[in-house]
Amino acid sequence: MTDTPILEMLNISKAFGGVQALRDVSFSCRKGKVHALLGENGAGKSTLIKILAGAYQADSGEIVFKGQRYAGFTAREAIATGISIIYQELNLVQLMTVAENIFLGREPSNRLGVIDTQRMTKESAALLEQLRIPLSPSAQIGDLTVASQQMVEIARALSQNADLIVMDEPSAILAGQELDSLFATIRSLVEQGVTIIYISHRLNEVFEIADDVTVLKDGRVVGVQPIGEVTRARLIQMMVGRPLEEIFPRATRSRGAPVLSATNVTTERLPRPASLTLHEGEILGLAGMVGAGRTEVARALFGADPLRSGDIRLKGARIQPRSPRQAVQAGMALVPEDRKTQGLFLEQSIRSNITLSSLDKLTRFGVIQRGLETATIRRAQRELSIAMASPELEAQYLSGGNQQKVVLAKWLQTSPSVIIFDEPTRGVDVGAKFEIYQLMRQLAERGVAILMISSDLVEVLGMSDRILVMHERRIVAELARDQASEERIIELATTGSQAEMKPA
Amino acid sequence: MASSPSERGGLRVPPGLRRHASLLIVYGLILILCVYASLSSPNFLTERNIFNVLRTAAFLGTVAIGETFVIISGGIDLSVGSVIKLSVLMSAILMNGRPENIGLAVVATLAMGAAVGLINGLLITKLRIAPFIVTLGAYSILRGVGYTVATMPVGKAAPGFLRLYDLKVGPVPLLVLFLALLTLAGVFVLRRTAFGRYINAIGGNEQVARLSGIRVDRVKIGVYVLCSALAALTGLLYLARAGVGDPVTGEGAELQAITAVILGGTSLFGGQGGLIGTLGGVLLIGLTNNVLVILNVSSWYQELIQGLVIVGAVAFYKQKRR
Repeated sequence: MTDTPILEMLNISKAFGGVQALRDVSFSCRKGKVHALLGENGAGKSTLIKILAGAYQADSGEIVFKGQRYAGFTAREAIATGISIIYQELNLVQLMTVAENIFLGREPSNRLGVIDTQRMTKESAALLEQLRIPLSPSAQIGDLTVASQQMVEIARALSQNADLIVMDEPSAILAGQELDSLFATIRSLVEQGVTIIYISHRLNEVFEIADDVTVLKDGRVVGVQPIGEVTRARLIQMMVGRPLEEIFPRATRSRGAPVLSATNVTTERLPRPASLTLHEGEILGLAGMVGAGRTEVARALFGADPLRSGDIRLKGARIQPRSPRQAVQAGMALVPEDRKTQGLFLEQSIRSNITLSSLDKLTRFGVIQRGLETATIRRAQRELSIAMASPELEAQYLSGGNQQKVVLAKWLQTSPSVIIFDEPTRGVDVGAKFEIYQLMRQLAERGVAILMISSDLVEVLGMSDRILVMHERRIVAELARDQASEERIIELATTGSQAEMKPA
Repeated sequence: MASSPSERGGLRVPPGLRRHASLLIVYGLILILCVYASLSSPNFLTERNIFNVLRTAAFLGTVAIGETFVIISGGIDLSVGSVIKLSVLMSAILMNGRPENIGLAVVATLAMGAAVGLINGLLITKLRIAPFIVTLGAYSILRGVGYTVATMPVGKAAPGFLRLYDLKVGPVPLLVLFLALLTLAGVFVLRRTAFGRYINAIGGNEQVARLSGIRVDRVKIGVYVLCSALAALTGLLYLARAGVGDPVTGEGAELQAITAVILGGTSLFGGQGGLIGTLGGVLLIGLTNNVLVILNVSSWYQELIQGLVIVGAVAFYKQKRR
């Protein structure tokens, strides 16, 4: 990297309370290039970007931007010097037009303070043209797709003469073609000499768009390289801190008899018939885009949404769960997607959370046998190594990984034969992620049948013995572990078919 | 509970104070009020006056315990005042001064209360109508029924039943003992039974409760049945005090009960709170009224002061939680 850097962040450290979010991080970007910033949740990407945006002040270190030294920025200075951040949650006023949003807070006006709408519209049109974005300046934001809204944010950044645009996981809200047009826009920005910092989890995109890559892990820089000199496996290893084959525990048993079979199941939110079979001791991955209907399948199986038609059998016996209770009694468990609103009672004790679904076993005439309950909790704590000061503590004070373990502990008390995991490691730090993978595999080894819904393709590929792919609320393909690849799943999930794919 | 061996991880242990802040405040206020009243008047700190306050508290206390269950489950019951009214009329008419009718009157009245709770609960769970609306309707309907039954005092308590009010165990009035035992029983149910856990869980997050396999509807119906039955029991206590069925009995009891529950620190959003707090709220309301009477303050001020206390206390709890 011989080119002069436009931005250097030197020896940045930042702590929150006792937690060191960044340790002596140095990061630099070449002018007019796309620099990918990679890392797991909690690696420090957001903190670094927020320091650059002026939202946080670093405890130590300095920022050199366009040759100028700064100890830190205020948010206003960051914008004034030419740094723009596009967050995942877009900052647009839904009821205003594209032009009004682009010039929000900087509206051109005449001496009487009346806004010069004409000029605003004209300048916006020029800007959109320059970026080759096919949008009308007078369109209302609320009517646009999320992808188009993101383009408006980019136009706004450019209108503020941004030399450096940070995009925080822009692809998380985009689908297939939309991503292509984002990349086209990024390329035209780069042609105009703008520098891009591109934050993402998705390695495919990084290889497609980035020139350089920096990997953060646990608040430190673990690697900086031009993208041409690094492999996918190497990047994953840097992100998670261990070689790929050690992250995902291998299955040692082969799958057993079918446990759960669903035939032509439909619900109000799952209009097209879905069928699947889940075997003893296997982990079946369910992949697809957000909104493809994966959670709806889980809810149908678990009795959370009433069935309209279809047949669900557990170990051969017909169960048509009309409530989660019936599913639970039949031997099913659901670790839901959103732990905080669907999985845990945040304001109640860990004790109540863990034993809630198995109180039937712990009560005599409705009275909880305190000793028995405490023993149960101790055993669960040991088996899942839940880090807690006391079971009387409210669940909200646990870390994401430990919260997830509490949800899992609750279900293990019911000795389920089928467990549905919906996004099992979302918002969980790397260490706990690893432990959760181990636990899932251990359960499968003990004969539990596991259905795992996940948007994280590395996870789907690493954990699943078999993979189902959903597209537009339909199960479109079943892939064996050795047939599956990231490209193939993405193709199926975005188009519903793989007609143009060459055989792998 | 002793802290477990694995105290690793950066856990922020919340100050135990947070959960108990409301208890400290409400019982602290009671203490301050008692000290102030005993310094201001020689009539306050007498055995007679104190037991009188406590015995009066049994009435509000019984309803408020039921209301606490409902509020912790995430609901509200506005119909308890009307249930009390109907209960006192019904039991007075059925008893009609005859000792042999006591059993029938008591059982029928409690059954009436349970039935009201059952209907409330069914409407709330099966038709998914908001508890506020269902119980507001029940409040109005039952009040109307009450006034068609009687606009003047009717019926008569049997002499034996009337004696319950003055009965003492040693120096302690029976009703005081009753309130204490009822509170303890309620605390036990909330903390140590599966039913109590489920009530807390449903109030904390109904969706999680459902996904955890709890029979949410059944528990909620149970809570409303319990609450209305306790309201009917309160009506019976009124009959034991007044000896007749007075149709104005119970008016405003729903708001008094909710006030006591909130003063006790139970969250109106459900999932958090308890009966020790509610008991404190009940005693604080009872004491405030008593002290104002002793100090010869016009009764007009009583409600005003109660209003100030409730808003002030809740504002203070909110501060503590931040």
